[in-house]
Amino acid sequence: MEWLALLMFICVCLVLLTGYPVAFSLAGTGILFAMIGVQMELIHPAILKNAGSRLFGIIQNPTLIAVPLFIFMGGILEKAKIADNLLNGIARLMGEKPSGLGVSVILVGALLAASTGIVGATVVTMGLISLPVMLKKGYSPSLASGIICASGTLGQIIPPSIVLVLLGDVIASANRDVGMGNDPISVGDLFAGALIPGFILVGMYILYLLFLSKFSPAQFGANLPVEDSHPINSREEKSIVDSQQDNKNTADKTHFSSQSKLQALKVIIAPLALIFLVLGSIMSGVATPTEAAAVGASGALLLAILNRQLNLKNLTSVMRSTTRTSSMIFMILIGASIFSLVFRAFNGDDAIENILANLPGGLPTAMLVVMLTMFVLGFILDFIEIVFVVVPLTAPALIALGADPIWLGVMIAVNLQTSFLTPPFGFALFYLRGVAPKTVKTENIYKGVMPFIGIQVLLLILLAIYPQITTWLPSIIYS
Amino acid sequence: MNVFDNLSRFVGHSVAWLTLLMIVFSLLNILSSWLFNSSSIAIQESVTWMHGFNFLLAIAYTLNKNDHVRVDIFYAKMSFKNKALVDLIGSLFLLTPTALFIAWASWPAFYLSWRVSEVSPEPGGLPMLFVLKALLLLMPLLLIMEAINQIIKNIQLIIKETHNATRDPN
Repeated sequence: MEWLALLMFICVCLVLLTGYPVAFSLAGTGILFAMIGVQMELIHPAILKNAGSRLFGIIQNPTLIAVPLFIFMGGILEKAKIADNLLNGIARLMGEKPSGLGVSVILVGALLAASTGIVGATVVTMGLISLPVMLKKGYSPSLASGIICASGTLGQIIPPSIVLVLLGDVIASANRDVGMGNDPISVGDLFAGALIPGFILVGMYILYLLFLSKFSPAQFGANLPVEDSHPINSREEKSIVDSQQDNKNTADKTHFSSQSKLQALKVIIAPLALIFLVLGSIMSGVATPTEAAAVGASGALLLAILNRQLNLKNLTSVMRSTTRTSSMIFMILIGASIFSLVFRAFNGDDAIENILANLPGGLPTAMLVVMLTMFVLGFILDFIEIVFVVVPLTAPALIALGADPIWLGVMIAVNLQTSFLTPPFGFALFYLRGVAPKTVKTENIYKGVMPFIGIQVLLLILLAIYPQITTWLPSIIYS
Repeated sequence: MNVFDNLSRFVGHSVAWLTLLMIVFSLLNILSSWLFNSSSIAIQESVTWMHGFNFLLAIAYTLNKNDHVRVDIFYAKMSFKNKALVDLIGSLFLLTPTALFIAWASWPAFYLSWRVSEVSPEPGGLPMLFVLKALLLLMPLLLIMEAINQIIKNIQLIIKETHNATRDPN
């Protein structure tokens, strides 16, 4: 009856392509096949009743309570205009170099990623804030869009990311299923494992920009005459123009810019401290992810108050959007668990495990097959669906074949991040397209992300050859 | 705005406040474990309860606001009528069965819990665990109401679009 599991998988893909909400497509298709299975007497209805206790388990899962709190934290930080201030501040610190602005955008993307952890939100925010500034400075549209998409998707991999929280939970239970329960995996492990690869990625992005600005300065608008009479559209553009002018005032140059740099530093320190507080308390084991998320959310509220951006309207809007995002994620979890319950009832999980275990070449081949599948699925599915549907079905087999669970989690996160950058279906590209002006052509966006995809693939290869990059930090923290 | 819209949104907007309360209670818990060196099971469990009320009761509201994620490669390019058709068929054959199934699968656990007045297994935990289990019945109920709302709206939309198409001289 494995063929029914296969048929079910094909059907759910077709149903998903109609565009009906993913959560209900997963659950509904599962239930329709369950009814067929019961009719054909292949499934005993009692197995389906297990869904009740599984769903109750989702409510009680202590790790996943961190999810709404992290979403809330990101929402408040967004309303607090943290991104604007950060870009402002870091661009000042970078000074006048043509590549300075691009590097600032990547650093802000990384910081924002660490604090919000939702790809769509970061790409949209960065697109709205930094695209006009970069274009104005003369950056080529391709380069500007590449920088934004790449830095916006950093939210996948840089902890504390929601992807890693969800992934940590799923991988931990896969690890238990395989019988590695004596060496349990926590969300903190995955955070620690993703930290160094995240830094490497940001470092490679920045190196690439510095390299490019040496050899192709025209792309950074270096030959553009600087006009002093720019029409100023927004606050952040104004301050960047200001800082350019600061630097041009030859007489007071050093005095003036060092003062403004001090101010800039102040703006950066608060969000940075918040991120360290959250990450530090999770990784040192002082706090559970949920507690750390609560601390982070309160810190975000405090920052919003300090920035005078907290009012009832903003607060209500963040509470409501947090509720909807959280409901959306958990409904997918409910849908996916109903789907996989039926999939398992048809022995679909055994079939997948057999296929993966019997591939010639063992773990490397199996890993490659799973990674490529996820990469392709990443074109049509969001990370939540992949984490809840595909990872539980494939991770146990890979761990049984000898994959380190932390390494596996980080590989999956980087892989999905790459997938979301890849034209023509990458999610990040759609999000940027949605907020980019007409002067930025879709081809520009596609062309712009190519070098960053190359960097991502490079990191994946690095991680595949040297798994220690992911496992070293967790091993010294938790030894 | 009809009565179903009002219901979904009223419930959604109400439980949205729980996101803020969850933060406050989590902080209380951290404080109590710092100050008194003991974290309160009751506070911890109340955060779990708030989380459950928040996301489960807002699922219908999220549907009402069209915020459940879709694979929209084709959907985004469809005409209004075809979108309405997808949503109508989905509401009937995917959404409604899902809601009924969740209620069916959750009923026995709720009933048993209610009969024996089950309390939290943890010492010092919250009483009336059946209330938390009842959420898995309340959520499908709200979802069914919203499904009826969606079915009515999409049928109206299809009729309107068909009517417009026939009246259109082209």
